Formats: sequence, C-alpha cells, structure tokens
Amino acid sequence: MSKTVDEAPGAARSARRAGRRTVPSRKMSSRRKKEAFYFWLFISPWLIGFVGFLLGPMIASVYISFTEWDSFTPPEWVGLDNYAKALTGDPVFWKALGNTFYYALISVPLGLVIGVWLANLLNKRVRGRKLFRTFIYLPTLVPLVATAMVFKMVLAPSGPLNELLGWFGIEGPNWLLDPTWVKPALIVLSAWGAGGATVLLLSAMNGIPRELYEAAEIDGASAWRQFWSVTFPQITPVIFFNLIMGLIGSFQIFSQVYILTAGGPDNASQMMVPLLFREAFSFYHFGYASAVAWLLFLVIMAFTLIAFRTSRSWVFYEQEVR
Amino acid sequence: MENKIRRRTLVQAAATAGVAVPVLAACGGGDDDGTGPLKMVVWGGDLDKETYQARIDLFEKANPDVKIELQLIPSDQYEQKVQTMIAGGDGPDIMQVAEGVNTYSSKSQILPLDDYAKDAGLDLEERFGPVGTLYSYEDKVYAIPDRSGAMIVYYNKDLFDAAGVEYPTAEWTQEDAKAAMEKLTVSGTQWGYGGAGWWPQWWSFAYQNGGQIIDDGGQPTANSPEVVTALQWANDLAHKDHVVPTAAEYADMGPDMGGDPAFAAQKVAINTTGFWAIGGLLEVDFNWDIAPLWRGADQAVSAFGSGLAISRDCKNPERAFKAIEFLTNADAQEVIIDKAQDVPANLEVQQSDAFLTPSWATTPLNMAAFGESADFIFRAPFIPQWNEMQAAFNDNLGTFWNEGGDAQTELDKIQTQLESIITD
Repeated sequence: MSKTVDEAPGAARSARRAGRRTVPSRKMSSRRKKEAFYFWLFISPWLIGFVGFLLGPMIASVYISFTEWDSFTPPEWVGLDNYAKALTGDPVFWKALGNTFYYALISVPLGLVIGVWLANLLNKRVRGRKLFRTFIYLPTLVPLVATAMVFKMVLAPSGPLNELLGWFGIEGPNWLLDPTWVKPALIVLSAWGAGGATVLLLSAMNGIPRELYEAAEIDGASAWRQFWSVTFPQITPVIFFNLIMGLIGSFQIFSQVYILTAGGPDNASQMMVPLLFREAFSFYHFGYASAVAWLLFLVIMAFTLIAFRTSRSWVFYEQEVR
Repeated sequence: MENKIRRRTLVQAAATAGVAVPVLAACGGGDDDGTGPLKMVVWGGDLDKETYQARIDLFEKANPDVKIELQLIPSDQYEQKVQTMIAGGDGPDIMQVAEGVNTYSSKSQILPLDDYAKDAGLDLEERFGPVGTLYSYEDKVYAIPDRSGAMIVYYNKDLFDAAGVEYPTAEWTQEDAKAAMEKLTVSGTQWGYGGAGWWPQWWSFAYQNGGQIIDDGGQPTANSPEVVTALQWANDLAHKDHVVPTAAEYADMGPDMGGDPAFAAQKVAINTTGFWAIGGLLEVDFNWDIAPLWRGADQAVSAFGSGLAISRDCKNPERAFKAIEFLTNADAQEVIIDKAQDVPANLEVQQSDAFLTPSWATTPLNMAAFGESADFIFRAPFIPQWNEMQAAFNDNLGTFWNEGGDAQTELDKIQTQLESIITD
C-alpha cells in the first residue's frame, strides 16, 4: 500500500502478477457484475466530464485549427494554413516558443535543485523544524496574483532585490523593463514557489529506512556520501514526478506573464499560452490559436517522452532490485 | 494558475450554457416573442453599476411594461465574456461598446441603428454633435453614444504657483507645454508631466501635427513624418528632457504606478487623462484644476467614451432601441454627472448647470474644459482589428518607452505590421 504513494507513472509493475488467479472465468459472476456496475456508476461523473468538457473540446479544437474562425461567423476551412503561418510566417510565434523554452529549461531544473536542497535541510533534526516547513510551503498557498503584485515591488529598479545585490557591489538591472532580464525575473518568481516540490520530496526522504543510513555510517560514509548514495537514489521517483509536472506546468506558464509583463517589453516575455490566449480572445483568430495550442501540445509531448526515456537510466524503483 | 482556471471554467460554463439555453427556451417559451426583460451588459466597477442602475430605474418608471436586467462585467473580462455570449447564441440585447465596436459591426454581430433612430425621431447630430456618428462602419451607425469626454489636462495649482508658471490653456503650444514642464521639474523628486505613453496621449500630438494613424482611405500611415515627430517628442520628454518620469522611475514609486496616481501624489505637476481621475482628486489636500489640451499646428485631442449597441440576438430591437433612446436623453444622462461617473454624451447635459457646477465638486472646477475640447476631438481609427493594431504598437514600443530610442525605426516596423494586419 505504501508503495503506491511514490510510485511514478510508468513504473514497472510486471513482477506483481504472481499469486493472482491464472485462468479467468469466462462468465462474470453476479458479484463481479455488480462490482462492474458500481465501477461505471462511480466513474461516470468523471467520464461525462472528461468526454463533454475535455475530449469533445479537444477534438473540436483539432478541427478549428484547420479553419479560420472568429467565433461569430461560421468557420472557414483553410487546411494547414494556420500551421504554416505559425511555423513560417509569424515571428512572434518563434519568439514566444524560444522564450518558453528558455523559461522551462531553466526554471524546472532550478526548482528541483532548490526543492531537493530545502528538503534535505528540513530533514535535519533542528530546532523549529516544523516552523521552517510551514514557512517554506507558505508561498505555494499565496494566490499568484498577490505574489505577482509583491514581486512588482521586489523587482523594481531600486527595489529590495537590487538593493540586496548592491551590498555585493552588483548593480541590478531594471528586471521587468529590460528585454534581457525579464525572463530571469520570471524564473526568480518561479523559484519562489519551489516549496511545493519540497513537501513531496521531504515525505519521500522520511520514507527512507533508517537502517540504510546506519549501514552507511558503519561503512564510514560522510554526510555528502550518504546523500548521494542513499538519499538521492531513494527520492528519484519523486524528483521524476516533479520533473514531469514541472515541465508541463512551465510550458503552460500564463498568469505570471499576464499579470507582470503582459508579454512585454517588445514580446521579450511573450510565452506560448499568453500568445494563444491573445490570438483567440483579443484578436478573434480562433483557428490560429488552436493551431498554436496543438503545436505546444506536440512540444510538451516530445519533452515528456524524452524525460520518460531517459528516466530508465536514473530513476530508481526499489522493487526492481528484488 | 488562477487565470487559467477561471478561463477554463468560463469555457465550460459557456459550453454548459450553450447546451442549457436551447433546452430552457424550449420549455419556457416566454422569452421567444421578445416580451421578457432586456438583458444589458456593461463593464466597470461599483460606481458604474450604481449609475447604470439608477438610469435604468428611471426608464422602468417611465415604461412600466419593459424591464431591463443589468449585468456588470469586470472591465478586463468584458470582451471575452460578451464574445462567448454571442458565440453561444445568447448575446445580450443591449451592450456597451467602445474602441472595439467594429470588431462586432464588421461581422454583423450588432445591428445598424440608422433606421431605428429615424423611426424614433432621434437626430444624432443634434443630441450628440460630431460624436453622434463616432461608432460607424461603412456609413452605418452601430452604436448610440452614451458617455463621451475629451482627454483633459489636470494641473497642480500649488506646484504651478510655486514655480511661477501660468496655468495651461487650449492656446498653449507644444513648446509652451514643454517649457512649463521644464520649470515644474525638480530633479529626482518632481516631474513636470505624467507622460504620453498611452495611445490617447501621443496620438493626440500626432493629430495636432496633422498626422493620422490610419488615413481616410483606411490605409495605415503610422510612419508619416507628423506621427514620427509626435512620438519622438513624447518619448524625449522622459529620456532627453527628463521632465517625465521614466518607466524605471515609475516602477520605483510602487506597483502599477502611472500618471494618474503620480499626479494625486504630487509627483507630477501635469497629467493628461480622462474624466475618471476627478473622483480620486476630490479629497486631496492640494489645489488643482482642469483645462483643455494644448495644441500643435492644429488643435486635436482624443476622447474616451462608449456607446450602446444592440446585438444580433436581440429579439425585439425596437424595444431595445426605445430603451437606448431613453437612456441617452437629457434626464437619464444627468445621472451620469450627478454620480460623478463620467461625461454624458448628450450635449444638452454637457451644457447644463448640473454638469458645469456639479454638486459633488469640493472646489470650483473648470468643467467647461470638456465642452471646449469637444470642438477639436479627432476621430480615432476604430478599425475592426483595433486590438491587433494596439498590440502592434505595444509589441514594438516597449523598449522604446522604457529606455528611449528612435521613433522612425520603430514606426517603420509598426507600419509594415499594420499593413499586413489590415489587408489580412
């Protein structure tokens, strides 16, 4: 039972079949029928929601992406024009895609490193540990809109962050106003929310059996060695989970951009989802926006697949070494 | 995240509504003949809701057989929400429109109103002056003006007196204005002017120079010498002349800082904005007044306003027009000024004592500035691709406004983009 908690999607389960009944009976017993009935009954709210509000609109959006549609007048079939326009005719698309890559590929690893580091610190037996845990998770609970407003002040040209940098003799940039620094500013904001991952990592660390550390200690392993040889392999499934969720989340970044910069200056912080939102709801180009959405889907899909492929070489599941 | 969730639920709600409405209509049937209450959507905040409702109450009192259901939508969600309503076949009967009016009219989502106006005996020219046909597309009127006020100059009398500068008038030239701003600037703590980075502000200077953003034939002329000069002048005020706070200086004053709050905080001595700033200034402890905008070679100023339109889903347009006619008559429009909401579009009210000496004014205000400005309001190009046009400007002028730069270079890029947006 405890295993399912930190079992990541894609974890191998093949060895688990043993012990089950080998020859399934062809006819369902009445008990199984009843069970099946209840299964469909209880799953139906989700199924209806999924088909009606997710699958249906998704299929519709595939069709819309091949049309030109302003949401008022009937859609007009244009074939692959929208995709061609995105890939060859719209400089903003490539800029937004580049910005999104920049953001995702830095903010996700950074968030993981900070998360693991904080979790490791919180795992130490120090005074006021519970208080620290609360504080570190607190930013995750603050509504993003409020956080963004605070960050506008923190990132002001003469704001607290630049003042802090000034103590070390660094002259801080005009974060949100400068095309080169606006993306790092958004990454700083994402690091603020790293506490969400910390909680999961911490619970994984708590689940590591004490005897592994005791054995390592007897072998004379240093704290550093203990972390890399015991703690880290044991929490890789949770790191992997956070990696996948982080990738998907950061490719779909929206609110931060919408509130802090509106994509500016000069599209330097324009990302994929704000771009397609603007195309659809401000410019009334639903076809083009749908095409952009599907291209983004492909990008996310590709990155998720890469992550899954490489996971075999670094994610460790305990049951595999039985 | 929150925005995304809201958006998703909105789409879901729309989908549900799309499913539910035909069902309800089939059951109820009362709505079909167009005798049910009229649905009216407007944007804004509490004051707007209160004001519209008070006007509706007047209408319902005079027309007991017609009810109007008012729905107020927060400004930043208005377009999306109305769009979803119309796309779902459940558009409002009466809707507030502004710069984006021709997004709807060009796609026949709102009705041309000329015939209804003629039948009702409403002379737009007489009631609203040149603004009467502001919301036109291809020579047809699609919305009746409801609120309409020129952008005006707010000035801090105390700072002007301290610097020994004469108060602004409509006869000031751009040079006079700049000379005053220089005298009113105290390096690092006080600036002469709040800045002209918003389109109603710097476009006014472009039209004063004789330029146009879109010419009378519908073609963009954003990089004409007149427009370039105006944009460069407006930007140099911050980055060369230092009489306007730069973006960085504004950001240091607080989040979402701009001309309006900076004027109220006495950081800038002159600010150009709409009527709405008056409400926030009634309680301040310094002396201020308003004046019409200064001039260039010509007089020109932008106007803020909105009109009322009838959507294609309205089942009884005659009745809806009757309501609009009433809401824009002198009695109903007087409520707009009594509540200090905005400038009523109705000229009769603009010239009345109720407007010129409003009961809520704590000091005598030069309210005639609005009427004076009305004579030289330029007609902004409300093209159907209004939002895209604005984005073309914003996407290219971000760094330009933040750090300074060359107006010609940026406007050449914008011109190319506008050409492709308009031909699309």
